[in-house]
Amino acid sequence: MKPITILVGALGGDGGGVLCDWIVTAAHSQGLAVQATQIPGVAQRTGATTYYLEVMPTRAVQPSVLALNPAIGEVDVALATELLEAGRMIFNGFVTPDRTTLIASTHRVLAIGERMAMGDGSFDVGRLLRAVKERSREQILFDMDQAAEESGGVINAVLLGALAGSGRLPIPDAAFETAIRHGGKAVDTNLAAFAFGGGHARGELAQAVREHRKRQAAAQGLEDLLARARRSYPATALDVVEEGMRRLTSYQHRWYAEWYLNRLDTVHALGSAELLRETARHLAVRMSFEDIIRVAQAKTSAERMARVRAEVRAKDGEPVEITEHFKPGIEEIAAVLPPAWARRLLAWGERTGRLGKTYFSMHLRSTTILGFARLRLVAALRSYRPRTSRFVEEQAEIDRWLEQIRTAGRTNVDLAREIAECARLIKGYGDTHRRGLANYRRITAEVIEPALARRMTPRAAADAVASARVAALADPDGDALSRTLAAIAAASPALRHAAE
Amino acid sequence: MLDQPAAQLPVAQRTNPERSFAEEVRALRLGDGEIFRGEGILAVTKAILQSGVAYVGGYQGAPVSHLVDVLVESQDLLDELGVHLETCTNESSAAALLGASINYPLRGCVTWKSIVGTNVAADALSNLASPGVVGGALIVVGEDYGEGASIIQERAHAYALKSSLWLMDPRPNLPSIVRCTEKAFELSEATNTPVMMELRIRACHVTGEFVAKDNKPPPVSRNQRLANPALHNYDRISHPPSTYAHEKIKVEVRQPAAQRFIVEHGLNEFLAGERSDLGIIVQGGITNVLLRGLDRLEIGGKVPTLVLNVTHPLVPEQIADFCKGRRAVLVVEEGGPDYIEQAIHAILRKRDIDTKIYGKDVLPMAGEYTAEVVTDGLLKFFAQSANDIDLSKPRERFEAARAGRVEAQRLLGGPLPLRPPGFCVGCPERPVFSAIKLLEREVGKVHISSDIGCHSFATLAPFNLGNSILGFGMSLAAAGAVAPVMQKRTISVMGDGGFWHNGLLSGVASAMFNRGDRVLVIMQNGYTSATGAQFIPNTSGNRRDGETTSDIAATLKAMGVKWLRTIRTYNVATMLKTLREAMSSDDKGLKVIVADGECQLARQRRIRPQIAAQLKRGERVVRTRFGVDDEVCTGDHSCIRLSGCPSLVVKPSPDPLRSDPVAHVNNGCVGCGLCGEVADAAVLCPSFYKADIVQNATWWDRLKWRFRSAVIGAMA
Repeated sequence: MKPITILVGALGGDGGGVLCDWIVTAAHSQGLAVQATQIPGVAQRTGATTYYLEVMPTRAVQPSVLALNPAIGEVDVALATELLEAGRMIFNGFVTPDRTTLIASTHRVLAIGERMAMGDGSFDVGRLLRAVKERSREQILFDMDQAAEESGGVINAVLLGALAGSGRLPIPDAAFETAIRHGGKAVDTNLAAFAFGGGHARGELAQAVREHRKRQAAAQGLEDLLARARRSYPATALDVVEEGMRRLTSYQHRWYAEWYLNRLDTVHALGSAELLRETARHLAVRMSFEDIIRVAQAKTSAERMARVRAEVRAKDGEPVEITEHFKPGIEEIAAVLPPAWARRLLAWGERTGRLGKTYFSMHLRSTTILGFARLRLVAALRSYRPRTSRFVEEQAEIDRWLEQIRTAGRTNVDLAREIAECARLIKGYGDTHRRGLANYRRITAEVIEPALARRMTPRAAADAVASARVAALADPDGDALSRTLAAIAAASPALRHAAE
Repeated sequence: MLDQPAAQLPVAQRTNPERSFAEEVRALRLGDGEIFRGEGILAVTKAILQSGVAYVGGYQGAPVSHLVDVLVESQDLLDELGVHLETCTNESSAAALLGASINYPLRGCVTWKSIVGTNVAADALSNLASPGVVGGALIVVGEDYGEGASIIQERAHAYALKSSLWLMDPRPNLPSIVRCTEKAFELSEATNTPVMMELRIRACHVTGEFVAKDNKPPPVSRNQRLANPALHNYDRISHPPSTYAHEKIKVEVRQPAAQRFIVEHGLNEFLAGERSDLGIIVQGGITNVLLRGLDRLEIGGKVPTLVLNVTHPLVPEQIADFCKGRRAVLVVEEGGPDYIEQAIHAILRKRDIDTKIYGKDVLPMAGEYTAEVVTDGLLKFFAQSANDIDLSKPRERFEAARAGRVEAQRLLGGPLPLRPPGFCVGCPERPVFSAIKLLEREVGKVHISSDIGCHSFATLAPFNLGNSILGFGMSLAAAGAVAPVMQKRTISVMGDGGFWHNGLLSGVASAMFNRGDRVLVIMQNGYTSATGAQFIPNTSGNRRDGETTSDIAATLKAMGVKWLRTIRTYNVATMLKTLREAMSSDDKGLKVIVADGECQLARQRRIRPQIAAQLKRGERVVRTRFGVDDEVCTGDHSCIRLSGCPSLVVKPSPDPLRSDPVAHVNNGCVGCGLCGEVADAAVLCPSFYKADIVQNATWWDRLKWRFRSAVIGAMA
């Protein structure tokens, strides 16, 4: 008689070792032969690790030998505390459609490589879910992180509950519960989490999908402008356009939203709904560029305190003090001065070598009356913003960008869309903003302008802009971008000639 | 909050902070006939107490740390039995401890992680093995080999061969491990030779049970002291001419005695099988993989198998008898070189036995012998040696599983993101590497000599800092010939564990002596954290009397280090300034920065119960944590690249117009403040905020808060 084999994939801190202890104790209580082992090593420090168990199905049989290593194609139950770790067991061939019951949490904890990407670097969840469905015999999938939170327990107890609920082990719930009590730590919450896990596995509990809501602002007296957009724009672009108008109204003023619509009209005239939508999205973000006025607006907005209190889990009646970390430099200050003054300040900074070196570190307590008042004062500079040097510069940049989109859009919509997408590169503050802008300008000079001058075939042009943009987001040092730009230049004879 | 130096702790709290061993300590007290349940390494600990061991020592490292850790918490039991426990500062010191068994009838056991620990211990081991022992001496080495291993892949076997130590490799189940442990002492005494027992990581952590015996108080011990030292006997000294005699005794007396003992006590096992023409010889530690592999091929119990629970010395007669008359024998020996297989070839050749030996021709020379690898090897072996066995069905299943994996990988579309180990939430070492990254922005890339310890995680994402790792405490020495050819100074990073283990002499003394113009950063977190937060000489407290033994800065001063700064790590700006100063100072000698900050894992385990108690008593407690304003964050993730804190994660952007996910501080945050510090030092962005949540607020806190909220509400 063969043992039931169980492979557990977990992250350090998920309590995989305790989970194994519970299973071993419960099996012992039923008189079943059982063996568990693990390879903790350094993986416990934020890494991923596995545990392996074998349990005999009846007490009648003592095994000749129990294995310490899982074998491909011979795992009966695979448990994972996180979706990518389920994927890893599938990738390694341990989860198979003829045999394995896969019990996994559907939530994602992003690996460091996914988190440190300059844009969105997360692994394709669709691929993971497809592999989960196709490569296992049956699946018990739900968000165990959420279940743990709802039950007040830890994820390993939820997973144990799901294992019990799966019915794959000849061990009754009571034996698992006794094992949890025997462990003696956080017994009540662990029992609650265990019950949650079991309920989900048996389909007794349904989980409300934890949907990520995008925040949307109120209409703010823009009804007539919204009506104008609805009349002229295709439905597919409307949600973005409306959100853009709301954002720009709260960022600046109603007239700013109107300007936004006027600018969009020139793109709408090109006739591509998709191009309109993408341009509308990026144009709204570009027009609401980040300056210290906007930061102050965000930090003093009415709903912010409630959001922070929820995020840091402050209980009702607990005072919360917030300290903001600001460090504006000469450039940030110049950005909110009128152009002439800004030029003088920057020239002075350049001359004295203080530009990019001198910063004013401020730890401002925004929950004190004076601290909040100072932020409020900065936020009140909003009406003066159109006279700042940054505003003037940004509008000129935006106009140049829109002109490129229009020029391209007349003959090559793909290229126009790729140019519009390049706005993604410009974001952030300080160094991040400087780096993004520099990359954007490099791509403009070395790819977009030659493309608009028809020194590339239309298809090559769109591809070139897209690959340059991806490369710019690949690493902060710009190595990938340099390589890609060189490759683009090498691949295009016209460019090469021009360079020669 | 974290800028305060770690306070002295009351004695009662100074237990190993990684994990509490209350349950394990109870298991060590089990008596005759009671059932012991637990992990392999704990079974070894129980077995040495049952064997009447008089002293125990060791140096921590996976997978054997628990042996000493559990005993540290069993001081009462050790006192009753009279067992001396020495938590050594390195493996060399642990090996030298066995010197007690050279002259006195004391059973002793030491443990460490191999291969690295055995390398460090090698000098003492040679000098121990030469005169030999009169009391049983056992070395339990954690053979950290294969999946999850954190060190170079080499075998401890080579040391057994060169120093004539006996090497046990027991079958990985508790009764077998316990029996081998007990027999090891007898074997050692019967042959005057120290015995090594290797346990792989899965064997150390395997669960199981065995019937316990009473612990045996050693006849000579701390409780039963000797009146006089041993009489002077030059034969017991490893110095010429004794060493010439020792060499002969090893081969002429000790080895034959060991081979007799192995046979008489049945240490190696013969598993019968119906095939008289085939056989398998396997290392004890690999037996389960092999037997399951034979089951998989549906020939379990059919092929006779010789299980070598002792892999050195081999018993030539036993091997010859096993092979004689068989057409083909497979040797299953994990790792290289193939010492056992070569020895078997020689044994058979000398006896003109023409059995064909298979081994590394059907199994790989390098890498762990997993289920798949062994199955593949068995299929090849039987295909070449016994084509009368029909393996088509199992082969089909095996190939189908492999094809399934290819299909799974195709579905997943390429490799999955890796999860390398990294610094814990709030780790005091992370800010140092953030500062080094910022330093490199200013001065360009610097040669960084890395070391063993948590800080070696800086060689991985997101820091990717470090050019070499040469061993524990070796980072300063490893830069010795790099520094003179570099225009910029080199930075060596070393932990306090590494400093006491080896770095103090191999690194600092040597660099001072050679006037090395180098920079050394010592991570002073107070424990050897990577191995489970064991105490070291600079821990604020120790397991005996609560006093700090040695201070690193004072030690360095006494050694003559002139340029010395002690910096609290969390202050990135100060750390950056100090690094800049060290890199550009006119001082041409060794420049040392002691980066001070208590291991956060240890600290959290220490203060969490204290805070819970304070809250329960209704005392005012301020909880600090950090957060990101998602409206202000633009999703560039510079902060993550400069920190990598596990609690600094990303979440979907709440902004309908932005697609890049934004940074987010999750509830694991312990409020170390690094993210804010980095944002400040690197001039990143204004999205970070610090939140101080006042729990059990006083009436004054509440009044102030209500008043402020009212005024702020009116302004907003």
